[in-house]
Amino acid sequence: MASISIRNLTKRYGNFTVIPDLNLEIADHEFVVFVGPSGCGKSTLLRIIAGLEPISSGDLYIGDKRVNGVQAAQRDIAMVFQDYALYPHMRVYDNMSFALELRGTPKAEIEARVKRAAALLHIEPYLDRKPKELSGGQRQRVAMGRAIVRNPKAFLFDEPLSNLDAKLRGQVRAEIKALSQQLKTTMVFVTHDQIEAMTMADRIVVLQNGTIQQYDTPETVYERPANQFVAGFIGSPAMNFFPVEWRQERAVLSQGRTVVPLDGETAGHLSKAGNAVLGIRPEHFAVAADAADGIAIDVKLVEPLGSDTLIHFDLAGGSAIARVDPALRPKVGDRITLRPQPGKTHLFDAANGQVLR
Amino acid sequence: MTDAANTDRWIRWLNTVQLVIAGVLIMAPTVWMVLSSFKPSFEVTAYPPTLIFSPTLDNYVELTRTTPFLSYALNSLIVTVGSTALGLLFGIPAAFAVSWTRISWPAILTLAARMAPGTLFLLPWYVMFRQVGMIGSYTALILSHAVITLPIVIWVLLPSFDGIPRSVFEAAQVDGCSVTRILWRIALPLVASGVAVSAILAFVFSWNYFLFALVLSNGDTKTLIAAAFNFIGEGSTQWGALMAAATLIALPPLVLAALVQRWLVSGLTLGAVKG
Repeated sequence: MASISIRNLTKRYGNFTVIPDLNLEIADHEFVVFVGPSGCGKSTLLRIIAGLEPISSGDLYIGDKRVNGVQAAQRDIAMVFQDYALYPHMRVYDNMSFALELRGTPKAEIEARVKRAAALLHIEPYLDRKPKELSGGQRQRVAMGRAIVRNPKAFLFDEPLSNLDAKLRGQVRAEIKALSQQLKTTMVFVTHDQIEAMTMADRIVVLQNGTIQQYDTPETVYERPANQFVAGFIGSPAMNFFPVEWRQERAVLSQGRTVVPLDGETAGHLSKAGNAVLGIRPEHFAVAADAADGIAIDVKLVEPLGSDTLIHFDLAGGSAIARVDPALRPKVGDRITLRPQPGKTHLFDAANGQVLR
Repeated sequence: MTDAANTDRWIRWLNTVQLVIAGVLIMAPTVWMVLSSFKPSFEVTAYPPTLIFSPTLDNYVELTRTTPFLSYALNSLIVTVGSTALGLLFGIPAAFAVSWTRISWPAILTLAARMAPGTLFLLPWYVMFRQVGMIGSYTALILSHAVITLPIVIWVLLPSFDGIPRSVFEAAQVDGCSVTRILWRIALPLVASGVAVSAILAFVFSWNYFLFALVLSNGDTKTLIAAAFNFIGEGSTQWGALMAAATLIALPPLVLAALVQRWLVSGLTLGAVKG
């Protein structure tokens, strides 16, 4: 168990810089999730921590030790790969015991640790099978088992759930979270799925183009996004964005003349900025009874989800989504008045996307 | 009958004709050689050739009586097994290194060496081996035949190594394996059939290779194939004994290929599709 410290890290492939200058502190026992779109550098960063990619410049510490030039084999890190990367010619037991055997662990202890991990992951019946005889979910568990038998300094997960179907993904997600609470080890998990990030992490690192956009708890990242990118990436469906201006002491959508009712604090920020991008999450619209209290929209598409209903509508030259109570039973063509919930709106600088607070 | 059905019928017919032609071209000399080895010596060169004859083992008896055939066979075995082992010893790590580093020029270089005519190597080798007094030694023959076996091992194994997902090697690294250990504990067991195929092919090619043994061997180390060449024109050519010798020389590669035919095909296509 150890902390991970990344200082002024740069990663280049030839002339192409994947990670420009990154600083990150992961505390001991912390579960940190790297999230971001494809190509943002999250897997590269994980592979750098594992020792599978060299660092171009900067420093990487695992615990107190600088590990820049240390081989993956010497870092005492366990990793679960996207494709599980089990050894096809070895039985499940041998897959799990291999790393311990390499370290010269006594046979009796190897057996005890493999059996303990197998029990924890419910894979005891499969210990004598080869990976090809297992289902995707079982292979995923074996890959986790191979990692946890070792009691390493940190666990690294590289999108381990992406090959599972939706139901199994939810189940394994919960299992990994429970496991992290049991093992109390530093864990770094890479995903492009913001739901995985939100549900599992102690803290989330949101990455774009190799730079950290925000590093905070899931609640903070959701409630107080640092910029428009984070606001748009975290949350499903994504946050709606509307260019707004401050005209005649009111917030008005830049396209058209629609007045947006804003709470005092947000209105204050907009009045100072003059114009900005207004962000409202679909779930942060309330349906108003009176047309004068909000924004009148025409329902373009209805998506009933059971617990909620999503309505799609056009506003200010773009399309937007609101999440409403299914009891409303909206229909295509209905005119509904929506009002942003006070304190739930976000303003972003129109030029650089940074949040205005 | 539709046009499509007609076309199909023609394609099938043409395929059959092609197979028959190819079969006759390949099999006719072999059958002729094997049949001739069992003919009385006066019938071997008879024209027109006789198809019905009283089979005899006289040619085989003559062969073993007049030549140290078993000794030549042993020489062939030593050189072939030695050069195959040498090819595997260096070819396996070389193929793995090329696959691991993705630096392909060493593999291309060995292929170029394999493609080059044997005479390109023969003269320098002859001079070098003579200077160190190795002409006629098994070592010289084994080393020279490694030029045949090494590229075969590398090029058969390269796609097999490439076919193993990279993440399996990375998992082994994270588990604590050095590169050498990854080769022996992870990669090699996964390409076992490829190793077997490369060994068989190397064996067959080395066994059949004629030029190096002809020049670099001596009376004590002459291989079967070089010895068989010497049967021609030593006084009058013993065609019957020569046919018997050719049949026996061809036997090990043919038996080997027949025994592992299915494995050979699967091993050669290994790595073409990732599992």
